[in-house]
Amino acid sequence: MSGIEEIRKIRTVCPAHCGIDACGILAHVKGDRVVKVAPADFPNPRYRRICLRGLSTLEVTYHPDRLKYPMKRVGERGAGNFERISWDEALDTIAEKFQAIAAKYDWPAVAWVLGGPGAGTTKFGAYLRLASLTQSTRVSAWGYGDSALPCGSRVLFGSQFPYAFLFGSLFSSPSAPEILVVWGANPGESQPLNLMRPIMDAKEKGALLVVIDPRFTVTASKADVYLGVKPGTDTALALGLMNVIFRENLQGEAFIQKHTVGPYLVRTDTGEFLRAKDIGLQDGMDYIIWDIVSESPRSRSTANVKPATSGTYTVNGLECKTSLQLLMELAAEYPPARTAEITGVSPDIVTKLALRIGSAKSVNFVTHMGFTRTYHGDISLRALGTVATITGNVRATFGGGHLPAVLNWKPFLHTDPKKPSYSRLGILQLYDAVISGKPYPVRAVWFSFINFLNQCADSSKIVNKMFPELEFIVSTDLFMTPTARYADILLPVCSYLEFSDLIPFPYPYIQLQEKVMAPLYESKSDVDIAAGLANRLGLSEYFYGGEDGFIDLILDSKDPSLEGITRQKLKQGPMPLKFLPKMDEVMDIPFSTPSGKIEIYSEKLREVGQALPVFLKPLETPLKPEEKKYPLAFIQGHSRFRTHSMYANVASLLKFNPEPVVEINPQDAQERNIADEDTVTVFNDRARTILKARITEGVRPGVVNISEGWWIDQFKEGSVNHLTHAVINPVQEKIYEPNMHMNDVAVEVIKYQEVES
Amino acid sequence: MKKRLGMVIDQERCIGCEACTVACKIENHGIEGWIRVETQNVLRKDTPQGRFPDLRMNFLPQLCNHCQNPPCVDACPVEAFTKRKDGPVILEDEKCDGCRICLEACPYDAIIFNQEKEKAEKCNLCAHRIDQGLEPFCVVCCEGQAILIGNLNDPASRISQLVSKQATFQRNPEKETNPSVYYRPPKQPRDL
Repeated sequence: MSGIEEIRKIRTVCPAHCGIDACGILAHVKGDRVVKVAPADFPNPRYRRICLRGLSTLEVTYHPDRLKYPMKRVGERGAGNFERISWDEALDTIAEKFQAIAAKYDWPAVAWVLGGPGAGTTKFGAYLRLASLTQSTRVSAWGYGDSALPCGSRVLFGSQFPYAFLFGSLFSSPSAPEILVVWGANPGESQPLNLMRPIMDAKEKGALLVVIDPRFTVTASKADVYLGVKPGTDTALALGLMNVIFRENLQGEAFIQKHTVGPYLVRTDTGEFLRAKDIGLQDGMDYIIWDIVSESPRSRSTANVKPATSGTYTVNGLECKTSLQLLMELAAEYPPARTAEITGVSPDIVTKLALRIGSAKSVNFVTHMGFTRTYHGDISLRALGTVATITGNVRATFGGGHLPAVLNWKPFLHTDPKKPSYSRLGILQLYDAVISGKPYPVRAVWFSFINFLNQCADSSKIVNKMFPELEFIVSTDLFMTPTARYADILLPVCSYLEFSDLIPFPYPYIQLQEKVMAPLYESKSDVDIAAGLANRLGLSEYFYGGEDGFIDLILDSKDPSLEGITRQKLKQGPMPLKFLPKMDEVMDIPFSTPSGKIEIYSEKLREVGQALPVFLKPLETPLKPEEKKYPLAFIQGHSRFRTHSMYANVASLLKFNPEPVVEINPQDAQERNIADEDTVTVFNDRARTILKARITEGVRPGVVNISEGWWIDQFKEGSVNHLTHAVINPVQEKIYEPNMHMNDVAVEVIKYQEVES
Repeated sequence: MKKRLGMVIDQERCIGCEACTVACKIENHGIEGWIRVETQNVLRKDTPQGRFPDLRMNFLPQLCNHCQNPPCVDACPVEAFTKRKDGPVILEDEKCDGCRICLEACPYDAIIFNQEKEKAEKCNLCAHRIDQGLEPFCVVCCEGQAILIGNLNDPASRISQLVSKQATFQRNPEKETNPSVYYRPPKQPRDL
């Protein structure tokens, strides 16, 4: 063999998109250089895929702007002046600083601020292990915009994700649903990217495709029916659909009886579920239904009863209604005309869509996090899920489509059983911890695989109030991002071709992200960096074996879905997870809610007036623009040219899409005397952002869109997140974790020149 | 009957992502991708036609049509173009002298002038790949699985079936070049 000329092909994984879409990559290596990437094969050819970002991999790996060696800041934070240092000096400095801060404030004052865990298992695990061993703070990634969906899903279904329930059969069923409703998601360009093929397959097999979005996205362009809903009004739309469904008596009674709290009686005086003890029955805390045969209350576990799903009943002098009755009464307040007024969707379409959903054999609801990035986004998800529930369109049985959780972090934690694990803060809670020391002070942060300043809400607050309070900032990155500029110590990290990891995606596969080439320059993997710091903190015994050691740690964790899967076998290609339910296996999923049923009524949330999916006004989005100082709703769609802020500096992609623009409807542009390509100022009380206007019918009148992920330095001034707010929704904080509401923002737009003159 | 390699591009499945364009550039090292995606009936890419919310947006990937009667082959004074027996129209860049006559001759704007090399270039249907039994790289990388390649002279091939059984069209049929790239138009949206 000649060696030099021969091309070796190594299978690895592009983990770029928070993981769940992770494509298999066939790296073509010539000598020590990767010369090409191609999509790698899967047992099921539908999974062989790549996107224009994945195809641009080599432009990232071999980018001239890669950070090449460790550096320390010289001069002002944020100015971007750094001096080269050795790895020893960098890690010694960090260890000393962390220990000094821990001595003064205790270890939780050191916080690990990490990006999406799906973006890699071992690198995430390595930092979790450090956090766990030092009992410092892990800052959860969910609040970056992703926590409202699990908040809603936890309340309704008792699960972190609603996907298996709402569209699991898209993966598993050979037949297409009659209707496919894509609501608040754009899989044609963004997560879940791996759904666009199944969606188009379903449409080809006859499914009617309905897309609900304030923007006419690529996904919307494939729709039979497009609903251009106003941002933040999805709950009202769902209630409008339910109004018609209940009016026409199209609800799925049998499903409601079997799988939901619909028949359970609720006391109208307290809003609590009526319990056996309230009416002197045995079974103390059991839920009570109204038996229409004996015309009397019975506990739900009583045999041979026929529960009423609707109605008002007096039990021992207590007025009670079934929880479905309460939902029906709420929905009754949203007839199509009122729904149309709130949502901007025509009453005719609301009625027709409700009739179709109510009478269809099967409906899949594909959703994701876009529409939940509003102040009450958790309720929006519940409202959508409630439409699916009352029409019996929730997969409440294993049918091959249940997605098992395989991201198992436990092996990384509790490494010393004598010690408790890390402290946990949500991202918005970190703001307070740093700025006001509540619930406890955080004085040092470590940023990894996160462009924090660029991607988090209210950039001015971060720069002016948060960062100055921090005694020490460490960042590991590939590039001098807006966040990296603020680091005190900046560490160069590998691109995905330069280290190994385990990627439990795309469902139902698990893949090995194999190291294809040696790390460039002095860059290191996150696992190696964490191990280097661990050595200096006296924790080296927990970091033995590098990435491979950590991969084996997960594979050997006795997780049933990983049975028989080894690193060696994974080198041959992706392996399906074990423990998948068989296609024909039908078994009830016990919902992990307090009642074990789908909770269309949440007793816990009655205290905050959110027991039902009530429509509450958005925080900022102007429903009546004429009354507002800032009359335009500002949203941040996702672009196919970037994954959040990744790929924003890739030359070949910038050729397609050179600079940020604000998309504005011709109607709004005309009112403001704005022409296409004009430089405009988008502003509110927090900041102004200066960029070019793009006039397009692709956004709803009253709404402007700037796609997220552009780096702050790519704007003339400001950025998307200079306009957003870091307000905590206390209900989300109570349920799970507060979310950023980047699609619930009000702005005004004017011509740039007008400001200057 | 001899082989006639061709393509069917399904507009219903094309999501306009331009992975094909990026893939082509990676595979063929052209000055730009030799397959380009146009958003139909609008001046600006990625914007819809109509008025909100009654909108349409369709994508039309365009590349060399590998015509049965290719005007470029006749026009080229140095015989840099050849029509292969199995269908592809091949441009050999070492023969090209950069005269640009072919750019005028092609009714589809499918030939690109590489200013750096001062030569014309275009899609060769990834002949180097198909000769090894591989699909063109744009086909492999198509996110929507919208680009199909096959033998148009084999009535059993998937693309022949599509061409014979479904409404497909060729670009600018009035030019009588008989393109080997067929398009399946997007489906008409259905009402609720």
